Amino acid sequence: MTTLDPDPDVDEALDDAAAARALSDAEGLSDKPKSFGRLAWERFLGHRLALVGAIGLLVLVALFWIAPMFSEFEFDERDVRNRRLGPTAEHWFGTDEIGRDLFVRTAQGGRYSMRIGLIAALVATTFGTLMGTLAGFFGKAWDVLVNNLVNLILTVPAIIVLSVFANKFGASALGLALVLAALLWTRIARVVRGVILSIKEQEYVMAARAAGASNSRIMFRHLLPNVVGAIAVEITLLVGSVIVLESTLSFLGLGVKPPNASLGTLVADAKGDIDSDPLRVLTPGIFIVLIVLCVNFLGDGLRDALDPRAKVADNQNSKKAKRAAKKAAKELQRTAPTMGVGDTTVVGAHARNIVSDRNDEESGGRP
Amino acid sequence: MIAIPLLMLAMYLVHIGVSTTVDPRADFYLCLPRCQDGFDAITEQYDLDTNVFLRPFSYFGGLFSGEGLGQSTSVGDPVSEVMRTRAWNTAMVAVPAFLIGVVLSLLLSVYSARRQYSIGDYTFTGLSFLGFAMPSFVLALILQVVFAVKFEQWTGLKPFNTGRKTGENFLQLARDVTLPAVSLAILGIAADSRFGRSSMLETLNQDYIRTARAKGLSERTVVWKHALRNALIPLVTLWALGFSVLLSGAVVTESIFSWPGLGQVFLRALGDADLDLLMAIVMFTGVLTVMFNLVADVLYGVLDPRIRLS
Repeated sequence: MTTLDPDPDVDEALDDAAAARALSDAEGLSDKPKSFGRLAWERFLGHRLALVGAIGLLVLVALFWIAPMFSEFEFDERDVRNRRLGPTAEHWFGTDEIGRDLFVRTAQGGRYSMRIGLIAALVATTFGTLMGTLAGFFGKAWDVLVNNLVNLILTVPAIIVLSVFANKFGASALGLALVLAALLWTRIARVVRGVILSIKEQEYVMAARAAGASNSRIMFRHLLPNVVGAIAVEITLLVGSVIVLESTLSFLGLGVKPPNASLGTLVADAKGDIDSDPLRVLTPGIFIVLIVLCVNFLGDGLRDALDPRAKVADNQNSKKAKRAAKKAAKELQRTAPTMGVGDTTVVGAHARNIVSDRNDEESGGRP
Repeated sequence: MIAIPLLMLAMYLVHIGVSTTVDPRADFYLCLPRCQDGFDAITEQYDLDTNVFLRPFSYFGGLFSGEGLGQSTSVGDPVSEVMRTRAWNTAMVAVPAFLIGVVLSLLLSVYSARRQYSIGDYTFTGLSFLGFAMPSFVLALILQVVFAVKFEQWTGLKPFNTGRKTGENFLQLARDVTLPAVSLAILGIAADSRFGRSSMLETLNQDYIRTARAKGLSERTVVWKHALRNALIPLVTLWALGFSVLLSGAVVTESIFSWPGLGQVFLRALGDADLDLLMAIVMFTGVLTVMFNLVADVLYGVLDPRIRLS
């Protein structure tokens, strides 16, 4: 594009070539096989619900973190003259019984809930992965130990144990997150243990061992990368359930302590006015549902995207992709003679073959 | 059978946890020189002078040597008495909730599996997503607003009560129980019906179902007799586990519908640092969980003879 003496013919040819390349890349027609990450990303984009979840989460993050900057109120600023206002231009969600702005409080609560959800999920995942790997890889005593630890935690209903400990440690976000994580790592440990057990006897691990790789090298280089997909899915599920549990504890008055707000405490605060102002109760509740829904959708998409056996998100999409690929192939064959760049004509000639290859792969081949 | 030593270990740890996080003397520190008598009485009652790690032994020792569960300070009755009345009240909600959950999740899973990818199936899938994302207190509050508050404003009728009223006849009881029971049940249905759907789908695709159809059995017999029996096996265990969850999930629902059950008294005991009552409730839920886990294992073996208990 930056030629000093623009020649319209060359320019057009270059444009065509670039367009064709972009087209063939987009439709998976280039000769270079796609990396797993690239495929996963494409499957993720093809998953409509996952996209909805991701975009929804971005919107919520913007709403909780950025939107309050445009409000002139602080989350613990009282204004006794403006108590129990309905939604106004100034107070977008109205005010509570001591005149605090409910929008800012809701945003603060949303931030608090999301932060706790993330911290707890990350801590639980790290610990759970560690325990699951130890149990799956070393077996024997480790396996017995981890299994019994998991069963021990499951003997008493989580909400009961959580209530007791959250009451004591729930005042800070970190404390509450750690209490939640201490009880929620069990599921991940089981999942990771299962995956490790199923792959540790495979030939490539044996080959690595024969080549003299140490235990830690086998674990980190050869086993854990296979667990990443399962873990990513579990993290999203975990974030969802942590947020539900945290808001439940806070609702019961056992989690987040005033003046801090979480979505759960906001519902609890509004509960007294439920007869006269049901909307105030529902707003934070709906936000909890929205966050968890988005996170779960995201997890659903990740599950499909990171499944190493799946090539395309679902049947409908693969049909669409095939149709688009055929169309692109025709397009290329028609325009190929006019193009001056060698390697795109190759693409044109091979396009049909590649389409049929794709069909073969979809019917059972592994990448 | 590892469950029983595990349960004992869990109780030991829970006792340590409870007695380190809950301090029944919290109110006394400020007035200490004056109220030394009360302070000492509480210390004596809960053995607070003993080491935290040894305290569970004196507690459980007392339990088995006939001292019983102790006295509840927050309610004012013996703990065993409180437990009996409260557990009965909780069961009054939990059992109907359990039955509603079982029937509805069963019907939904059969429906969704038979009409896979129909509008109805998609609707229930969407609803179950919503059910997963909905904390129990939000659902309970929505039900309360719609069916107790707004319904009365709209129609002037009040079919359901919120909370336990004194009525003893069946109709009165049903009015009280419906809302808490339904709100407890719905959350379980979201998960169970999904699970039941995939279990039913798997069964319907098996060869013996095709055989049953091929030999000319009516669709009803095929679905409800041949397929359902096998599809039920994993569901039954889920229900057995779910029942103990119901009993503990009642913490939230009971506090919203002000239902005088175990969950409500648990929160009260936690707030008032009522150690003996707290321990009794935690033990009760723990024993129930372990018991229903065992029931689930046994049921699994009974229903599916291919599985041998080890």
